[in-house]
Formats: sequence, C-alpha cells, structure tokens
Amino acid sequence: MYDEQRLIELRGVSKSFGDTQVLYDIDLYIRKREFVTLLGPSGCGKTTMLRIIGGFEMPTRGSVIFEDKDITGVPPYRRRVNTVFQKYALFTHLNVFDNIAFGLKLRKLPKAEIAERVGRMLRLVKMEGYEKRSVESLSGGQQQRIAIARALVNEPEVLLLDEPLGALDLKLRQEMQLELKSMQQELGITFLYVTHDQEEALTMSDTIVVMKGGRIQQIGDPKRIYDEPKNAFVADFIGQSNLLSGVMLEDELVMMAGKEFPCVDEGFEKNEVVDVVVRPEDIMVVGTDVGMLEGVVESVLFKGVHYEMMVATGDMRWKVHSTTMQPVGSRVGLSIVPFNIHIMRREAVTLPAEGGEKA
Amino acid sequence: MKRSWYATPYALWMLIFTIVPLLFVVYFAFTTRDGAFTVENFGKSFRPVSLPVVFDSFRLAFFCTVICLVVGYPAAYFLSGRSGRAVVVLILLPMWMNFLLRTYAMMTLLERNGVINTILEAVGLPPQTLIGTEAAVLLGMVYNFLPFMILPIYTVLKKMDRRVIEAAEDLGAPPVKVFTRVVIPLSVPGVVSGVTMVFMPAVTTFAISRMLGNGNVYLIGDTIENYFINFSNRNVGSALSLVLMVLIVISIGLLRKADPKGEGGALW
Repeated sequence: MYDEQRLIELRGVSKSFGDTQVLYDIDLYIRKREFVTLLGPSGCGKTTMLRIIGGFEMPTRGSVIFEDKDITGVPPYRRRVNTVFQKYALFTHLNVFDNIAFGLKLRKLPKAEIAERVGRMLRLVKMEGYEKRSVESLSGGQQQRIAIARALVNEPEVLLLDEPLGALDLKLRQEMQLELKSMQQELGITFLYVTHDQEEALTMSDTIVVMKGGRIQQIGDPKRIYDEPKNAFVADFIGQSNLLSGVMLEDELVMMAGKEFPCVDEGFEKNEVVDVVVRPEDIMVVGTDVGMLEGVVESVLFKGVHYEMMVATGDMRWKVHSTTMQPVGSRVGLSIVPFNIHIMRREAVTLPAEGGEKA
Repeated sequence: MKRSWYATPYALWMLIFTIVPLLFVVYFAFTTRDGAFTVENFGKSFRPVSLPVVFDSFRLAFFCTVICLVVGYPAAYFLSGRSGRAVVVLILLPMWMNFLLRTYAMMTLLERNGVINTILEAVGLPPQTLIGTEAAVLLGMVYNFLPFMILPIYTVLKKMDRRVIEAAEDLGAPPVKVFTRVVIPLSVPGVVSGVTMVFMPAVTTFAISRMLGNGNVYLIGDTIENYFINFSNRNVGSALSLVLMVLIVISIGLLRKADPKGEGGALW
C-alpha cells in the first residue's frame, strides 16, 4: 500500500565497490518535509547512501522508490532531487548569478522569472548584491551559501546535503545549522543531511539514522537516540559517555563497577551480561558519605559551561561533568539516579574499534 | 641562500642564448651592412613579394591549429576518462621520435614513388601528386604538433573536479549539456595553452615546408632562412624576424583574452 507520507524509500539496498561491500541491505523511508540526518563515522556508508538517492551510484542490489515509483535506474538529471556537495562544487567559470541560475536556464524558464527566483534565493541566503561576483572571490561560508542557493532555487522535492558545513569554522557552522533548519521549515522541503558530527545531527534533525559499517544501527528522533541508545556504539557515538559492562542481577538491578545499582530496565535474563551507558552530565558529585561510589579526582578541565573531571573509583574511571569544581586529588562521592542508567543488550561487535570517547 | 639564486644558471643561459641574440637581431634589423642606422630593412621585408608569404604562413598555421584542436580535443577528452600511465605514453609516443626523422618518414609516405602511391598503383589506381602540395605541408604540421595540443587539454580535463560534473547533472543537465556548459568552458585554459603551443611553431616552421613542400610552399620561416643563408643579408632577415615576433605577440595577446587568469599556463 502506498503511504502518502513516504517520499523516498530504500528497499533492501546493498552496494559494493569491487570486493568491498559498503552498504548491507538498507531499508529506510523518508517522510515528506522531514529533516533526516545520516550520522556515522567516516566509511560507514552514509555518503554512498546519499549518492544512491542522488543517482550518482547504482545500488548493487535493492531499489530506490520515489513517490511509489522505482527510480533506481533514473539518471541524476531526471530526478527531482538536488544536492549540496561536500566541497561546494561551484562552477568557477560562472559568476554567482549564473551559478544559481544554472538549473533554471536548463529548464529554459523566461529570463524575468530566472532573475526573480535567483534574487529571492540570494535574499534567503543573505547574499544580495553578490550577483556579479566570481565565486572564487568568496569566502568558504559564502561559497557554501551559494551552493545551497544553487540547489534550492530548483525547488527540489528533496535536498541532499553531503557534510555541507564540514569546511567551516565552529562559529559559522553553528550559525549555518540554525539557518539551514529555518530554511527547511520555511520552504517545507525534505532535507537529507549527511554528517559525522553528532552535535550537528542532534541540533537540526527530526530523525537521525545512526550508521556504522554499512548498516543502520538505530533510527529515531534526537531525544530518543540520545536518551535510549540501542547499543553501545550508538551510545558512545552520540555524545560523550561512560561505557562499561555490567550484569543484570534481576529486573531493575544492575551490577557494575563492583557495586549494585537500581535502574529502570526490565526483561533481561537473570545474570545477563549487558552494556551500560552513563552520561557524564548524569553523574552527580556529592559528599563521600552519601555517594554510591567513592573516588579520587584525577584531572579537571574547564569546558566553559561546566568542568570535566576524571574520577577514579577502584579500577574504573568515570568522566563527570559538573558546574562546581573539585580540586585534583580530592575525594568525592558519585551518585547516579536509576533513570539515568542506560542498559543495552550486548550485540556482537558493537563497540567501536578504538573504544574511546568521542568528543 | 636566497631562493632567487637557484635560478642563476637559467638566468645566465637566458642572457647568453636569448637576450643577447635578441639584441643582435634588433641591432641588425635597424642597421645597414655597414652598421649605419636605417629603417629600410623593414620596408624591404614588407615588399609585395613578402606579404603573400606572411599571409600563407598565418593561414597554414591557423588551419593546422584548427585541425589539431578538432582532432586533439576529443582525443584528450577520451584519454582523460581512462586511467593508467599507458594513456600518457600514447600521447607522448610521437614526441619520442626526432622531429626531422618524423618528417622524413612523412616524405617516404608521400613521395612520387612513396608508400602511398605504391599502394595506389598496386590496386590499379593512378598515382597522386602528394608531396609538394600545401596539403602535404599541413599534414606534416598537424602530425608534428598534435601532441602539443592534446597534452595541455588532457592535463586540464584530468584535473577537473568530478563533483563539478556531478553538480551539473544534479541540476538537470543531460550529458550533452554537461559537456557544452561545464566541461568545455572549464577546459578553456588548456585549449589556450594548446593553441599557443601549436600555433607558434607552426607559423615559424621552415623545415616542414621545405621537406614536404618541395619548393612549392614557401613560408615566412623559409624567407628568413633564405635571407640569412642564401642572400647573406642578416639585416633584412632580422627585420623580418622582428616583424614575425610582433605578429605572434599580437596573436597570442588576442588569444589571452579567452583565458584572462592564465590558468592553462599560457605564455602571456
């Protein structure tokens, strides 16, 4: 049955380059007007997925459905999809106006309409007055805006964005994140966004698709993905976390770091080995007399809004975020409320190879 | 040590073999045999007999350049899509052979009793006059200079960002439009440098016209050579060389307008 909501759908898509398989049997649908982010480390297959939807790569198996029609073999120039490329890919032989007008001129629209629509786009990306400028004379952020305008002016059904803010500095990136989000809401266009930056994904998306090794790990809205990561990889990749192994003694009771902790999870086998995630901001620093754990502060970093401390308790080291500083070497108590202990079924090969925290 | 010092050997080389000879040319062009100042040499080089020669030289060089472009561009486009070193070897292979040797090879092909006429006779066709025609000279020029057209265009096309082509497709351009609206405009610097590298040697050649023209095709290069060698008149020869230089500078200057940023490594 055709679901009105499903604008684009990938059905059983696999992709190999020679002997290397980069996508495994992907099933995914994107709703109209949704802001979907493909999130994962480099090499997870997110860009390949985007390129398959854009028409630049053919899936080895499976099909791409657009409004209930199979478009798997349709070339890029006949898809109602436009792309903002990673390194902008602007036409250096054309000025700003002609770059943006490129798609409209191909459709042979009347001159007046082209000028009107290009003008509107330049206003949208706040680049009025730059019509005659050569694109090479623009800064990275300005080129980025032109690349966005060049794609959006064609009023695509879906805008594909391949790490579009990757080359910008932090402040500009944050600014553009908000602008992109508001453009998307204003224009009502579906956005499919690729990034490896979890913060970016959390800020902008309606739905996040976490990927690793060519497979989808979890699909959900940002809050759900952050609060209820489905496995240790997602937990570790989304935000900083303390990741440790534990044993479910019974429903709502887990054993970790040598202590028993009440939690809210149920439905595990008795004594099942599980992965446990505790966010640094969910660990409270309390007096040694009331803490569930007792430890020594090993290091303190000032991070602006909070301090990041490493606290050693026995052979376990906890990353803790707190707005109050405890000096290095001091003894502190740590406390975690049951709700903030996230228990996950252990899956085969879910931990990232490095096993470290992501900044 | 300052980096500019590294260029010292080349600077010396330039001084001895380019600057000084050029000054001699200028000196001879403006003096008589006895060393007195004159502008008459230029008058002589513009004599009615010289003008058709200048015209012919530019006409042949122009046709040669056009043919090289028409043949070379598609070849460069095709080759830029391949990978591997074999491709570059394919372009450079003709250049590995000495220029005169190549032209001699051309002679044996085109001669009255050459390879082509032997084949024609063998199949019962009348022999053709091939050597000693403008077409033969043109063929020799194209044969010799084609790699100089292909190589710079190939280089520019090879360096072209694939994403830019994808961007054009993404914006709705079918393959033909991608080629005409993006690939060709972006390869202009390569074309400019290829045209320069073919046109300049073509307009000044005298070896090709002499070997394949059999005395019937007489170009400006041959004229200059004649003044120096046969008439022992280096003054008029020098004046004619200067005139030719000015004409080339003007031609290249016009060409330069197509590639204002000089991205193709063009000479001006």
